[in-house]
Amino acid sequence: MDDKNDIVIVLRGITKYFPNTIANDHIDLELRRGEVLALLGENGAGKTTLMNILYGMYQPDEGEILIDGKPVKIHSPHNAMEYGIGMIHQHFTLIPVHSVVENVILGIRPRRGERLRIEEEAKKIQQLGERYGLEVNPYALVGQLPVGVQQRVEILKALYRNARVLIMDEPTAVLTPQETDKLFQFIRDFRNRGNSVIFITHKLNEVMEIADRITVLRDGRVVGNILRAEASEKKLAHLMVGRDLLVITKKEATEFGPTVLEVKGLEVLGKRGTKAVDDLSFTVRKGEIFGIAGVSGNGQEELAEALCGLRAVSKGQIILSGKELTNKDALSVIQNGVGYIPADRQKEGLITDMSVAENLILKSYFDPSFVTYGWLNQRRIQSTAQQLVNDFAIKTPSLATKVKALSGGNQQKVVVAREMVIGTELLVAVQPTRGLDVGATEYVHSVLIREREQGRAILLISTELSEVMSLSDRIGVMYKGKLLKVIPSQEATVEEIGLLMAGVVEEDDG
Amino acid sequence: MDKFNELMQNFERSVRERMRRRDRSGWWLALAPVFSVVLGLLASGLMMLFLHNNPITVYGQMFSYSFRDIYNIADVFAKATPLILTGLAMGFAFRATLFNIGAQGQFYMGAIATVVVALNLGTVPAFITLFLCFIASAIAGGVWGAFVGFAKARFNANEFLVSMMSTYVAIAIINFLVRSPLKEAKGEYPQTDVIPSNSWIPKLIPHTRLHWGFIIALVIAVLAYVILWRTSLGYKIRAVGLNRDATRYAGINSKKIFVIVFLLSGAFAGIAGFTEVNGMQHMLIQGFNPTIGAEGIGIAILGNAHPLGIVLAAILFGLLKVGGNLITQTSTIPSSIINVMEGFVMLFVILSYFIQDKITAIKSKRKLRRGRAVQ
Repeated sequence: MDDKNDIVIVLRGITKYFPNTIANDHIDLELRRGEVLALLGENGAGKTTLMNILYGMYQPDEGEILIDGKPVKIHSPHNAMEYGIGMIHQHFTLIPVHSVVENVILGIRPRRGERLRIEEEAKKIQQLGERYGLEVNPYALVGQLPVGVQQRVEILKALYRNARVLIMDEPTAVLTPQETDKLFQFIRDFRNRGNSVIFITHKLNEVMEIADRITVLRDGRVVGNILRAEASEKKLAHLMVGRDLLVITKKEATEFGPTVLEVKGLEVLGKRGTKAVDDLSFTVRKGEIFGIAGVSGNGQEELAEALCGLRAVSKGQIILSGKELTNKDALSVIQNGVGYIPADRQKEGLITDMSVAENLILKSYFDPSFVTYGWLNQRRIQSTAQQLVNDFAIKTPSLATKVKALSGGNQQKVVVAREMVIGTELLVAVQPTRGLDVGATEYVHSVLIREREQGRAILLISTELSEVMSLSDRIGVMYKGKLLKVIPSQEATVEEIGLLMAGVVEEDDG
Repeated sequence: MDKFNELMQNFERSVRERMRRRDRSGWWLALAPVFSVVLGLLASGLMMLFLHNNPITVYGQMFSYSFRDIYNIADVFAKATPLILTGLAMGFAFRATLFNIGAQGQFYMGAIATVVVALNLGTVPAFITLFLCFIASAIAGGVWGAFVGFAKARFNANEFLVSMMSTYVAIAIINFLVRSPLKEAKGEYPQTDVIPSNSWIPKLIPHTRLHWGFIIALVIAVLAYVILWRTSLGYKIRAVGLNRDATRYAGINSKKIFVIVFLLSGAFAGIAGFTEVNGMQHMLIQGFNPTIGAEGIGIAILGNAHPLGIVLAAILFGLLKVGGNLITQTSTIPSSIINVMEGFVMLFVILSYFIQDKITAIKSKRKLRRGRAVQ
């Protein structure tokens, strides 16, 4: 197995910078002949960037790529194809108004003086499809084919170009379970012929089903590289999302106030019209942190958006202190006293090109204390902002400094400060410490605990298992849109929550 | 048509991206337009060399002629007046990251409204006539613009294309009006009668073409500034322009903002119709001032979508026009050199955005690398 000739691709020290972030930080990776390598990681862990580098879409800022032991530079996807690397993107790169055969042969130049014989090419494609169990009518228009078949066309495109390494970026996201099974059959078959597959995903069950070896990425770094035989879903979940358990001292509350938020049988549809949140019920009481754990992409985002009036509720109810909040718009949710710390602060929580003061009033532009007859009351805005900057220890050169000039931790403090003012009734915090350093993380945690002790109701949604476990009073685990179990935090163990995150409800005793 | 649509959208996306990152801290932000103007003039000088003229003498003459007498100096500002307004029309919408390419059409609608009011009002005191003409032009331009904002809000139409196309509709309306219902009594040319002299905007400096419209344009520029930076409406406009996702989370109705921005932006361009008809032409002529909409786009970019910058950029364009006209009258250089100069200045301004982007990207990368080295 360790034969050097067996290694097809080596990535060594690959580093890629994007404005303000390091997408890939000295990544080392090996791909062997005849294996399926799963590249596992949460959204934003750097999986796709890394594969785009291997496929020639981006150039790495540092590091080198070796193919068959020889260092190479991959300038373009065309170049990658010449090395036998094909990539199936999450969003297909097909021309809908062209036929299958036209799509497959697009970009391949016939040899000099040779005429394009479409029937011959079609036959070749059909044979190729039959060989791999990817049957498709070569003359069908791509736009009229179902998504699963379109993916087949993408794969045929790569195979037609003699790919021996296939990179698949979350290929099952668009497939039905039956189509997924069929895809996995193909992957196994392809591998057994001595080829290799890199399978990008954040779904643990798929990894366990299809991969031979698993490389886990987190925050642009490799955090684990294990054989499937040695892996378990729990272990992978831990690698993917977890840090070591944080030490947080909080008073164990024994009694809570009245119920603030009541969610009853909530159903929310996701982007593709599938049920993202499915018959979900829970309550959050005054002076309580209710934590929702789970691997990202299990409906947490949709749940938070529905609570904040940003996504339609198709069934069920959201009740805030006795008032119906189901399908109210974002403004009335804010005016009813719901604060929201979004997962992506730069995209959803801040206007980074505006000043600190302007960001602090982003949800108070209707408040008569800041606006009189349509005029901004600058003095009030400045003094309130100054107060918040002091209270939350926001490190900023001035109130007029643009938020984008602040560090990530201080940016998040701006969001937290503002939402604490807004969220008099309830605070919804989604991944409140994502991407923050240790100091800032501790600060955010201490604010959440302080507010809880002062009687605020807090809903914490996080994929950081340790964060949920150490902060929450009760923990619910979300899996495929459902809340699997709600456990009081004193009774919760990492093992149980970890299994629940992987969708295992009871101990598996084989 | 689909192809064209896509092309425009790609262009638009890249400009949007650029505008989103337009606010740069750093001292040379203020100087970038100056560099661009200098480079633009140098490049145009090169063209003059090809025409066998010495650019140094040409530029020397251009400036000395422009400042030779009060008439020419005043004319610079008279020419700048409508450009300030169309520049504001573009720049104001820019602040909401909306593209109002239709200032030309809004200008024409404003011109129609003011000429209709002036011709039909009869004998009323001048200030009332002027006031009504002003209001009519603002409303006509504003409604014409608001329609674009509405199409975007209601149907998610591409405001870039809709506003651009709306200009052609406005041109068709003018063509129709000056050939039949509003055609001059003599019936000779496609233009209206001269409007009564009590609806003429008074001169700011006697015996020149400079009129009080210039002051109106300055007031409008101040107004645009005040709206954007002193009112909650302006706050919402800028917020929508800088991060539409975050404003959605903050419960700001961006569709309403689209309509309001286009209403105001169109009104600014409509008022240019008032200053041109009542201040300069004193009638409506088919196809007059056909380029001030397009020049407004350039002026807004050159002025960094800031009202003060737009006023300065418009005056610069006024200077190029007056000076350019004078040198073409006194030398062998064709008048198209004015467009060449304007074009080169614009080109270098856009290039400077590109260079600024590159520099920020490199700086950010360096910072990250240093940050990691410390770790």
